[in-house]
Amino acid sequence: MADGTMTLEMIQASQVGLKAVGAGLAVGMAGIGTGVAEMGIGSAAVGAVAEDKDIFGLALLFTVIPETIVIFGLVVALLLLF
Amino acid sequence: MLKPRQMSRLFIAASKDQMEPIIQELYRHNVFHIEDFVDQAREEYAGFRIGMPLSGASEVSNDLLKIRSLSASYMVKPDDEEPDKIRRTSEIRSLIEKDLPGIEKETEGLTLMRSRLENEEKDLEQKIAGLKPFTDIPIDLDLLRGYESIEVFAGFVARDVVPEVPHDRFYSPSKTGNFIVIAVPVEHRVSVEKDLNEAMFQQVPIPEEHGPASGIISSYQLQIISIKEQIEANRQKLEDNRKKYAGFLLACDELLTTDVSKAEAPLRFATTDQAFVAEGWVPVNEVEPLSRAINDVCGGKCYISEIPIDFEHDSVPVEYNNPSFVRPTELIIDIYARPRYSEIDPSLIVAFIFPLFFGLILGDVGYGLILLGVSLLLRRYFKRGDGAQLVNILMIFAISSIIFGLLYSEFLGFKLLWHPLIFSRHMNIGGEGGEGAAIPGLLVMAIWIGIIQITLGRVLGMINHARMDHGSHRVKAVLANLGWLLVMWGILVALWSHFAIPYMPDLMKVPQIAAGLNLATITGVLMIVIGVIFIARENILDIFELPTIISHVLSYARLVAVGLSSVAIAMVVNFIAIGMIIEPQLAHLSIVGIVIIIVGVLIFIVGHIGNAALGLIGGALQSLRLQYVEFFTKFYKGGGQKYNPFGIIRRFTEE
Repeated sequence: MADGTMTLEMIQASQVGLKAVGAGLAVGMAGIGTGVAEMGIGSAAVGAVAEDKDIFGLALLFTVIPETIVIFGLVVALLLLF
Repeated sequence: MLKPRQMSRLFIAASKDQMEPIIQELYRHNVFHIEDFVDQAREEYAGFRIGMPLSGASEVSNDLLKIRSLSASYMVKPDDEEPDKIRRTSEIRSLIEKDLPGIEKETEGLTLMRSRLENEEKDLEQKIAGLKPFTDIPIDLDLLRGYESIEVFAGFVARDVVPEVPHDRFYSPSKTGNFIVIAVPVEHRVSVEKDLNEAMFQQVPIPEEHGPASGIISSYQLQIISIKEQIEANRQKLEDNRKKYAGFLLACDELLTTDVSKAEAPLRFATTDQAFVAEGWVPVNEVEPLSRAINDVCGGKCYISEIPIDFEHDSVPVEYNNPSFVRPTELIIDIYARPRYSEIDPSLIVAFIFPLFFGLILGDVGYGLILLGVSLLLRRYFKRGDGAQLVNILMIFAISSIIFGLLYSEFLGFKLLWHPLIFSRHMNIGGEGGEGAAIPGLLVMAIWIGIIQITLGRVLGMINHARMDHGSHRVKAVLANLGWLLVMWGILVALWSHFAIPYMPDLMKVPQIAAGLNLATITGVLMIVIGVIFIARENILDIFELPTIISHVLSYARLVAVGLSSVAIAMVVNFIAIGMIIEPQLAHLSIVGIVIIIVGVLIFIVGHIGNAALGLIGGALQSLRLQYVEFFTKFYKGGGQKYNPFGIIRRFTEE
């Protein structure tokens, strides 16, 4: 694409688009990270709860600890979009 | 409300000859939670032993075992059955003596016959399977065996085999496997075997039968039909017996269970040679009637006293004390943990917030109606126990979903006649679908809900610590909770003083004090600093947990995100089914077009049912998680002992 054909509107539009891409990447990749982290904890937690139902609350708590990561992704995405 | 039922610790001592009437009375009242006596655990009980069961306990246990095995063979379970009539205990006792051996014998005969018939059927089916390959061989089976000078090979091969020695051969190729039978003189056995093995020969035993295979198979098939008839008759008989005996078995089960637990109650008491002591928990308002009743049955020859509760060592059993509409929510609290005796019971709060969150997520009149229909249908199958409570929760969800559907103005993703009363969730899908969703407004609403619930959780946490802790730790713990609140609100105030956020206070116009910082910013920062000090005073490591303030508040964004995703799916289903499939065909109707329209309608139905199921699971799990993780971690410990009184609620018997 030749630079001379780019108008101001096109540049602005692509800036908005790239922001959206960035926001998507922030949430999506943070989500992957959270998923990977929760994978091990979750399977261990299910096993532990199967042994002893009383620790359900604690097991759930451990499982969702990595969700902080995806929330950070969400914060970045919101900052980019609004 | 917010507090479990108040309990008293009751101490009952009497001479051993009063034990039986007292047990009867305790059982009848069904309020006494027995504190099991543990041998040599406490000094004041030196010299006491665990009691011996009442006389007749082992006979009753034997009878109960028989009843349970009968119930198992008829698959009768107390929870699934409704009592046909209430039986008198005296009548059942005589029936157990008189009828039980007969019923037992009859049932045993029937179940034995059933397994014998099933075995016979299986045998015959195996024989038929062995005979099947020989149906194409035009020779009687008895001619294939019993020779001394001739060897007969029968089996499956990959391809036809023609030995170069004198032989007789039948070959029937088929898709399932090429079957071959070869008869050769014994002296050529080895060479033929070698030929066959090259063709991947799999030998099949020659059945020990007489006559042509097909004739035998049909006679076996006739036998199977007659056995099947007998199995059916047997099943019918068992079914009839089940109808006849179910009520009796359940009544026996109930009566004997009662007898066994009464007879074994002394195992939970402390006894000496002459006396016994029972300790346990009774709801405060039941103490008076129970004591009076026990005094009456033993003519005043017993000692009953209330002991003060020692909160350090006693684990007081916990019984919920809530209005009846909270009952389904108690199940949800129990899944996490039963509250402790001295902490706040959150079930009433959750009973309101849980359905509210569900409605916020799946607010759609159409889906609400679908869920309401499902719950009404399930109601027929789950009449009691946890299942019934889950159905009740589903019904509450459905109603909440309908209410929020009216507010959001949504019906299966379509807009209702009016404009959404709260923020719109109608997205722009496929270039149509109205004004688009008010995402910033929705997000801020979710954040506000989070701020309010977390604040409530921290306040409850302060109350809990003030109630349950002692000494300097109590002050520190209460202040730490206040600290978390101060940090959260401090961050908010500082944010508001710098950014204008819709639907939130704007503090940017507060007078500036110095260096571009206004009063609000400074207040916010001060709140954060004081909060951090309070938190660190209780536990310095909690400083590392500070980011959870942000993550917990923002976690409430799921209320919007999950909800929007189900709206999006609904609208996509509508667009595909109606916009892309049905409408173009309606414009030019033809025969093929009608078929395509039917396909479109099917996509519409399947899509929305699937989305309703997804919405139910997503909505329920996400709002449940917000209670468990974001709300409960602020104040709720749990781990209380369930109140389990000595006695049962009778359903099938009466005195």
